[in-house]
Amino acid sequence: MNGVAQKIYDFVDERIGLKTLEAKMMNEPIRGGSRWAYVFGSVLLFIFIMQAVTGILLMFYYIPSVDHAYASTQFIIHEVDYGWFILSYHFWGSSAMVVMVFAHMSQVFLWGAYKKPREMIWLVGLALFGLVMAFGFTGYLLPWDQRAYWATTVGVEIMDKTPIVGDFIARFLKGGPTPGQMTLSRFFVIHVMILPAALMGLAGLHLFFFRSAGPAGPFRGTTEELKAKTDFFFPRQVWKDIVAMAVVFLTICSLALIEPVQLLEEARPDPGDYHPEPEWYFLFLFQLLRWKIFFGEFGQFVAATAIPALFMLLLAALPFIDRSPERNIFKRPIALVSWAVVMIGILVLTVSAILNREFLD
Amino acid sequence: MSIPPPSVSSVKLAFAVAWAGFWTGFPLKMVAFLLLLAAQVHPWEGAGLAALLALSVPIDIWAVGLTARTVFLERLSVEVKGPVGLPLWGQGAALGVVMLGVAYYVVGASVGVGKTVAAAIIGLIKRVYPKLPIAEQITIELLLWTIPVVLVSVVLALVWLQLFGWRIKAFLVANGETSPAGLLERVRSWDHARVPADPWLVLGSIAGVAVLLTVAFWVFLPATTPHPHPDYPLTEVAKPKKPVKPDELLKKTETTLAKAEAILNTLEEEKEKAAKGTKKPERKGK
Repeated sequence: MNGVAQKIYDFVDERIGLKTLEAKMMNEPIRGGSRWAYVFGSVLLFIFIMQAVTGILLMFYYIPSVDHAYASTQFIIHEVDYGWFILSYHFWGSSAMVVMVFAHMSQVFLWGAYKKPREMIWLVGLALFGLVMAFGFTGYLLPWDQRAYWATTVGVEIMDKTPIVGDFIARFLKGGPTPGQMTLSRFFVIHVMILPAALMGLAGLHLFFFRSAGPAGPFRGTTEELKAKTDFFFPRQVWKDIVAMAVVFLTICSLALIEPVQLLEEARPDPGDYHPEPEWYFLFLFQLLRWKIFFGEFGQFVAATAIPALFMLLLAALPFIDRSPERNIFKRPIALVSWAVVMIGILVLTVSAILNREFLD
Repeated sequence: MSIPPPSVSSVKLAFAVAWAGFWTGFPLKMVAFLLLLAAQVHPWEGAGLAALLALSVPIDIWAVGLTARTVFLERLSVEVKGPVGLPLWGQGAALGVVMLGVAYYVVGASVGVGKTVAAAIIGLIKRVYPKLPIAEQITIELLLWTIPVVLVSVVLALVWLQLFGWRIKAFLVANGETSPAGLLERVRSWDHARVPADPWLVLGSIAGVAVLLTVAFWVFLPATTPHPHPDYPLTEVAKPKKPVKPDELLKKTETTLAKAEAILNTLEEEKEKAAKGTKKPERKGK
């Protein structure tokens, strides 16, 4: 650092103990050294910050009323300088967040990093996963076009199938018999106030637990190798995180440029030619609901509520069921096969839902 | 200067070099890709594709060289004194061109055969169970033809990795030297070789390039959407103009003027009162 920078650094350090903070943040030892597999958490934080920044920029122009939501979104796309790009970045950023959450959870699962003493990190992570999905769901309605309106209708109908609380949640979210002003207001408040606050709190807790338990490190390698490669968080892991963030940023920007947001017709209670469907990351569930074995009230409840709820419960209970200290995924065949089945299942059902559009058209 | 062939499997060795090499070059290529997109030049066709390929070749050569040296040193304890990137990239690219050509026909054929077989199986199922619902049919059909296609693709990828791995091993036998250093020393010495003497200069340079690229991006980026939806354009809502009524306008203006005059008078009166109020009475001495 040159003279002036050093003086500023010393000034701040004297007042807030910058060196101690820096040492705590940067000098965390990483057993076995830095890895590309560890970048997902940092990338998720980066995507969230970018979503917050672009979201705030969009709020300067967006009007959350049924009379103006569609027109103000159109205005952002067509009139505001770079508005189309900011909106498209925000749109693709939400998808990137879902993809990264899946990648992060997969890495933690495959590395066995949910095992003792990291159970709490895993549980808070699951709650964060729920929040990310809720972000996507509530944000989708805001442009108030046919896609938004009907995705929400479908989503709320799925929630309605939950026993006991389903009806209440559906009525609370809709605020009336059909999506309208109350729905838009509630989704807007949840999207820009409640969820960001909850996510910031839980992400802080997640990081706190992570720093308390420390990184799990690689699942294989001799003690000598791991010791030789052990490194501090700075500079190599920081560098890897920055490169991963840059790649994600460039990918989101590219998607925003290749496939920018284009609104359909303004929302109305008649779907017309439009075939209602939820966002792409709920398509697998939507396709599952189309299966004949899940027809009828009970079948819909099983597919829409019971299976996802049981799956989430199983994930929550995982660290307490799987108590074996073995972390090497190649020595945990049940875990490896289960992960592969779930991922392939989601992929196949999502592609099936896309192919299903042709039949509907 | 010759070493025995490494005992590691060819597929693993080739994967270690190619996978890391791909990701090392990827961010740099993405920057070029994005800048082309921002300038509204499609990087997947014509001049955009040519520019991207021209830029990708040196990036890949550098990336393969860097990652191959790392893999050789850290995993095989082998050092190569001469150039690594160009010879390995050349062989990998030549094999890749051949394998891509083969893959184009083999995967294409397996998709065709797979779809035909899947349709035939669905037909058979429908004979037994005519009410096969469409959602289930789509998923079964998809699985029936994608599983063999994925397997064929994986086999082709493994063949390419095996061939590339053989070439890497042959290259190592001809050009490699066993490193006398232990694991700790090897890992650390390679680290030190990569860490620059002046990290602030490197960080400053990277930041400078990032700023330059960001400025270039925003200069290229169109201010308003280059993709307006053909079916749902922005509808201009023309505001109806109010008809001008001279009498009303005169009356309104007179009222406004009268109000302004009244306010002015009030203010002047208040000012006079305030001026009188500020004249303090003289103090009497004791």
